[in-house]
Amino acid sequence: MKAATEGVLMRRLLRLLRWRLWIQEKLQPTEWQVTLIWAAVAGFLGALTSIVFLTLTERIHDWYGSSHLGVVESMQRLPWWGCLLVPTLGGALAGAVLKWGHHLTRAQSSTDYMEAIVIGNGNVPVRGSLVKSTAALFSIASGGSIGREGPLVQLAAVVASSLGRWRKFSPPQLRLLVACGAAAGIASAYNAPIAGSFFVAEIILGTIAMESLGPLVVSAVSATLTMQVLTSAHVLYRVPTFQAVSVWEMPGYIALGLLVGGIAPVFLLSLKHAENFFVSLKFPLVLRLATGGLIVGAIAINVPEVAGNGYSVVVDIVNGRLLWVSILGIFACKWLATMASFGSGAPGGVFTPSLFMGAGAGLLFGTLLHEFFPGAAVDPRAFALVGMGAFLSAATHAPIMAVIMLFEMTLSYDIILPLLLCSVIAYYTSKSLKGSSLYSEVLKRKAATVPDPTLGEGRVADMMRPNPPLVSANAHFAEVARLFLNVRVNNLYVVDEAGKFLGVVALHDIKPYLAEPDLAELVIARDILREDFPRVAPDQLLTEALAGFLGIVAERLPVVDHDGLLRGSLAKGDLLLALVERRKSPKGLPEMAAGSTPRAASNEPSVSSAPIVSESKR
Amino acid sequence: MPTDFFADAHSVVLDLEVGSGVAAVEAMHQRLVTDNDAVRNAAQFLADVRARMLLAPVCLSGELALPHARTDAVSRMVVGIGRTTGPLAFDAEHRELRFIILIGTPKAAVTEYLQAVAALSRFFRNPTSRERLLAATDEAEFRAVFAGSPAALR
Repeated sequence: MKAATEGVLMRRLLRLLRWRLWIQEKLQPTEWQVTLIWAAVAGFLGALTSIVFLTLTERIHDWYGSSHLGVVESMQRLPWWGCLLVPTLGGALAGAVLKWGHHLTRAQSSTDYMEAIVIGNGNVPVRGSLVKSTAALFSIASGGSIGREGPLVQLAAVVASSLGRWRKFSPPQLRLLVACGAAAGIASAYNAPIAGSFFVAEIILGTIAMESLGPLVVSAVSATLTMQVLTSAHVLYRVPTFQAVSVWEMPGYIALGLLVGGIAPVFLLSLKHAENFFVSLKFPLVLRLATGGLIVGAIAINVPEVAGNGYSVVVDIVNGRLLWVSILGIFACKWLATMASFGSGAPGGVFTPSLFMGAGAGLLFGTLLHEFFPGAAVDPRAFALVGMGAFLSAATHAPIMAVIMLFEMTLSYDIILPLLLCSVIAYYTSKSLKGSSLYSEVLKRKAATVPDPTLGEGRVADMMRPNPPLVSANAHFAEVARLFLNVRVNNLYVVDEAGKFLGVVALHDIKPYLAEPDLAELVIARDILREDFPRVAPDQLLTEALAGFLGIVAERLPVVDHDGLLRGSLAKGDLLLALVERRKSPKGLPEMAAGSTPRAASNEPSVSSAPIVSESKR
Repeated sequence: MPTDFFADAHSVVLDLEVGSGVAAVEAMHQRLVTDNDAVRNAAQFLADVRARMLLAPVCLSGELALPHARTDAVSRMVVGIGRTTGPLAFDAEHRELRFIILIGTPKAAVTEYLQAVAALSRFFRNPTSRERLLAATDEAEFRAVFAGSPAALR
């Protein structure tokens, strides 16, 4: 009677297990789907950090002006001594935070998220990032000629990195999640999800393979939606409607591409020289940043347009509210102010200042052309808009991203043809003048001292996941079935009492027999294990390990040491991600965003390492 | 696997008269070795079956034991079906045993092994099948019970 009852119970249990397994197979997400889910979470959290940072920036701005008016207008209202004091004080405070933070973060690795993605393990230190972002609050809110996008991206990346470490992601997964955070930061800064995705894909990862682009897009969309729901995010640059570009204007745009492609490397070089100049002064950090702020303030007394990221001035330029003579003066002063801010080490990005440079150069060139050949430049404002994209393309060496970003920021399709043409010409011109950006040079130097984390010289142990799904050799069929329900794998690793790897039990083998109650106690794991399942050794090259996946349907391979002990598992997804990353290995980085990143290589406390990305004025 | 696989079982013993489960396994093993050239290493095969019996029970019910081993000692699956002359105390918990089926499977044949065990468990779950097997008077009739129940062997 008792045996009969147990039999009925076992039968019911196995039937239940079979149904649960079926439901699980149909509904439980795959590893890639899980990655997409976490990418969305990273995007959401990245947007929240952006909102917090922007809010704090506005609060600090309100101490000396009004965040509703903008930095330029606040500067205009300040007396001359106020113009000097505010950026100087902001720089000094930023320097003090960095100096203080240096003691806190001495033992930590570089906070640069690009480095963490490209040559690191995806680990972005939290304390260092918070210190850098806090310092950026002061330098940005006090009117430094620097952008907010750097800290926004940094914060989003560090949140994503923390999220991945909490979920115990493997290094390739973690790097991808940090990249998702960066995409979210850019998307939330510019209300531009496509450009955010492509920025990371084109500049950092160097590939638009769906393995990486998919999560980036999900993260960027999640961030943008969050920003749109929680803030008044809108089209950044509202521009007038332009007439269809005539074919006679194309030579002008080609010339603009050549011009801007020539100016961008000079602009980046000037920033590097400015940085070297400030370092050569051997000022203490606080005094150095204060000096940078003082220079910006001194210029702002007469030209307040140099303060801040340049957003409002760009809006005025593309809408034709400024005379070309004014723009000429502002253009020169803004260049100088950006050199001062950036060179002194003010944390932030130079993306929007770069947009300003492009807009200014474009309008000046368009105006000049219009003066002599009206038909070759019907509306100089269109040249300003195209100049922005072209400058961005030349500075970042990422023409696709530049075109998309311009389109997303303006939603103006009228200038798409000259924009495409001009951006590509500017890119090639810039590249021919200077093969690599400042950032890529730094990254290459660092890459030379860091072991390649991707396939090339990587070993299985570098990418191995601990705690593989395993089962005892004497475990009964019912227990095996239960384990398959608990872990989403196709193979359970069978080990003996000493932890030696014996083989695998394949879900494919046992699935048809889950409804057999008699097998539950009769069959044990040892009866159904496959001993010939491929395995890899911890010290094996990843390139060799890749071959292990050939010819079998498995998402993971067991990692077995030379004593036969099971050490972990190697996921195919991790290998594929590493392959995607390898397409743009550190030593082969031809183009990277310029900007504040060169400072990552200096011995100074982490100052600024954000890429050349711009911020919105919200 | 053909539906008449068990009808063509390599060895059938209808008058198994032994005093213990171990003796029953040894008798079936001896018969299989004699009848089959698929058993490449008789001693190893028996040792593997015994080792497996020590790891976990092999009885499906009070009447049926399925000692088995996945072993390199056989070149293909071999099956021996025995019927005892009377209730046999196979072990302490199974004292009314009437059927013993010894199975040897090559290590790579995981699917075949599961198919065989699942088919046998389904077949012996049917009381009528068991009664017909017990009532069979000769080997041909005994084999015919399996052959006449294709549904049970799907």
